[in-house]
Amino acid sequence: MSLNASLSIAVQSLLADSGALQATNNNIANANTVGYTRETVVLQESDPSMQGDLSVGQGVVLQGFQSVRSEVLQRQIEVQTQQQSAADAQVSSLSEIEPVFTTSTQDIGTQMSALFTSISSLSTDPTSSSLRQGVISAGQNLVTAFHSASSALTAQQTGLNTQVTQDVSQINQLAQQIAALNPQLAAMKQSGQDGGTLQDKQDQLVLSLSKLTSVSITQTDTGETISTGNGTPLVVGANSYALQTSMGTNGMQDVKDSAGTDITSTLSGGDLGGTIQTRDQAIAGLQSQLDTLASQFGAAFNAAQAQGYTQSGSAGGDFFTLPSGVAGAANSIALASTDPASIAASSDGSAGSDGNLSNLSAVQSTALPSGQTPTDTYAGLVYQVGSLTANATAESTATAASLLQLNDQLSSLSGVSIDEESTNLIRYQQAYEAAARVVSTISSMFDVAMSMGTNAAS
Amino acid sequence: MRVANPVADMQYNIQQSEQSLSTALQQVSTSKRVNQISDDPVASANMVRSLADSACVDSYTSNNNQTLARLQSADSALSSVVTALNQAITLGTQGADSTLSDSDRQGIAEQVQGILSSVVAQANSKYQGNYVFAGSATGTMPFTADASSPTGYVYNGNSTVNLVQVGASTSVASNVAGDTVFTAGADVIGSLTNLVTALQSGSVTDIGTAATAISTALNYVGQQRVSIDSSISELNSQDTYLSQESVTLSSQQTALVGVDLATAATNLSQAETTHSAVLAAAAKVLPVTLLDYLK
Repeated sequence: MSLNASLSIAVQSLLADSGALQATNNNIANANTVGYTRETVVLQESDPSMQGDLSVGQGVVLQGFQSVRSEVLQRQIEVQTQQQSAADAQVSSLSEIEPVFTTSTQDIGTQMSALFTSISSLSTDPTSSSLRQGVISAGQNLVTAFHSASSALTAQQTGLNTQVTQDVSQINQLAQQIAALNPQLAAMKQSGQDGGTLQDKQDQLVLSLSKLTSVSITQTDTGETISTGNGTPLVVGANSYALQTSMGTNGMQDVKDSAGTDITSTLSGGDLGGTIQTRDQAIAGLQSQLDTLASQFGAAFNAAQAQGYTQSGSAGGDFFTLPSGVAGAANSIALASTDPASIAASSDGSAGSDGNLSNLSAVQSTALPSGQTPTDTYAGLVYQVGSLTANATAESTATAASLLQLNDQLSSLSGVSIDEESTNLIRYQQAYEAAARVVSTISSMFDVAMSMGTNAAS
Repeated sequence: MRVANPVADMQYNIQQSEQSLSTALQQVSTSKRVNQISDDPVASANMVRSLADSACVDSYTSNNNQTLARLQSADSALSSVVTALNQAITLGTQGADSTLSDSDRQGIAEQVQGILSSVVAQANSKYQGNYVFAGSATGTMPFTADASSPTGYVYNGNSTVNLVQVGASTSVASNVAGDTVFTAGADVIGSLTNLVTALQSGSVTDIGTAATAISTALNYVGQQRVSIDSSISELNSQDTYLSQESVTLSSQQTALVGVDLATAATNLSQAETTHSAVLAAAAKVLPVTLLDYLK
């Protein structure tokens, strides 16, 4: 074996070790980069050469770099991420509604009780104008409580509408960026190369997309094909398909696919799914129950009022003004009259009679057409608001825990460990030093060989 | 298992222990277990019902006290009427003495007339600006002089009795119709008028008859008082019941959303201990790398 051959082995090993050092260096540099997957150097023995019967090793070849990634874990993390952001979207908007239904001096339950308390007080002295005024004020306060609860729900829906528009535009941006990476990655894959940092970048984009909506991913020759959970394509090869939003007839932003088909109700998961779910189901449900309560309570109270006589002896008129339909009742319920004399306390037309007040009081303990007393109906509403928020919070906490575990697994596989890189650094440095020593040794061997004749001549 | 970076786990643990610390702190500082509906939706819904019940009990209590005061004023008016009628009977017995001179009877007649006026005044008595014995026509003076009436007075009120709710299923009459007390069973005012007329006429027989009629009226008023008194004692016992109910409800509310302070304080110190343990662990683990030992 010639010295030249040995020298070329030493050069190969210098190259291999400096390549390994480069990988280590890059790993250390990206130790805190979100989404970075650690790289390992792929070294391979060179094919041996045969010298007579001897097979002689021909050194090392630097094959390339390989990112240590797990696509399965990555997909699981994406699924958990979309569940968590859906739950978080629900928690954040529902917890803003909670205070409206929390017992305070202004909530509907308290004001309803206050109205019946004022009616009960009036029965001790039906002619007292201050007690009558008390009933009118309590009625006004109840109307205000209905209004503020209803408008809080509407305001929340309006806010969520904006959220839908923002989410859709972010989804479109991300889809564009993912599509742009597809051709490069497909080309690298075809040439047998590892996607490396480009793949990291695409995975991060897909993860961001999962925060917004649930997606399904298929690997194809032209890169990742991505569609929403219901099958609407977002990315196919180098092309991305933009979703659109438009204002629906009900005042809510609808989401449409690139062909213009309404896909609002089929979207699930992610911030967009959670937002739509809260807007169109949770809050819309609460709003319609609130409307039903306002409408039926107002109608029951008016019916009781019609059975009696006002202070001036005329037949009792409506206490509350209600819209013809149930929808919007909580927002448009109003007092029909602010005249204290209009309260139909009397059952016989005389000013001092309180006979009809028992009918008005009975509204509190009589079941509404919906099947429950006003107080129980309201208590049911409070329970729903609470349990919607509590369930979403529990889901968010649970997914956060499982996401942490998945991230631990991923980091265990793909994360950079500074300690590990430090030892690698020493390892490759020592190997490099040793290879360099080989070079200098061979160099001095050359010198010896060159000076063989000279020494003999002198 | 290869552990690449303990930072994420540490951050999660610190966050978790901070969360339980803040929950424990909130429970101690507010003395409440349920600070927002979602902390316990069932308790929050029950709280709505319980508070509505409390509001009812409060209004029953206030009605109870109002009605009690009103009935007591009616009772004291009737008590004065009873005293006056007893005097009238005594005077009637004196007037029936045949040895009396006409001028003596005239004097007695004037005294009875005075008693009559005081009885009418009691029958027209007011409570907080409303006539007590006018039925539901509380703004109308119930008894006014009327020459065309045989008794000299007419009743202007009605027979309506107002009921006030003082319990979920308990109502009491809050007023007394004047005609029931003063004219229906026995005509109190008429019997006094008759006595005055009899005394003025000097007929011993008539005086005797009139005095007997007054005794009948006295008995009748007495009976009416018994029914008012029984209402008053009902209200008194209802008051006791309502204050017990109010205590029950408020302890129910404390049980629903409140927190036992001793438990809360224990939870707080536990959370504190856990939190400092987590922080101490993080402080020990995080700064150590291999590089520390390679110098």
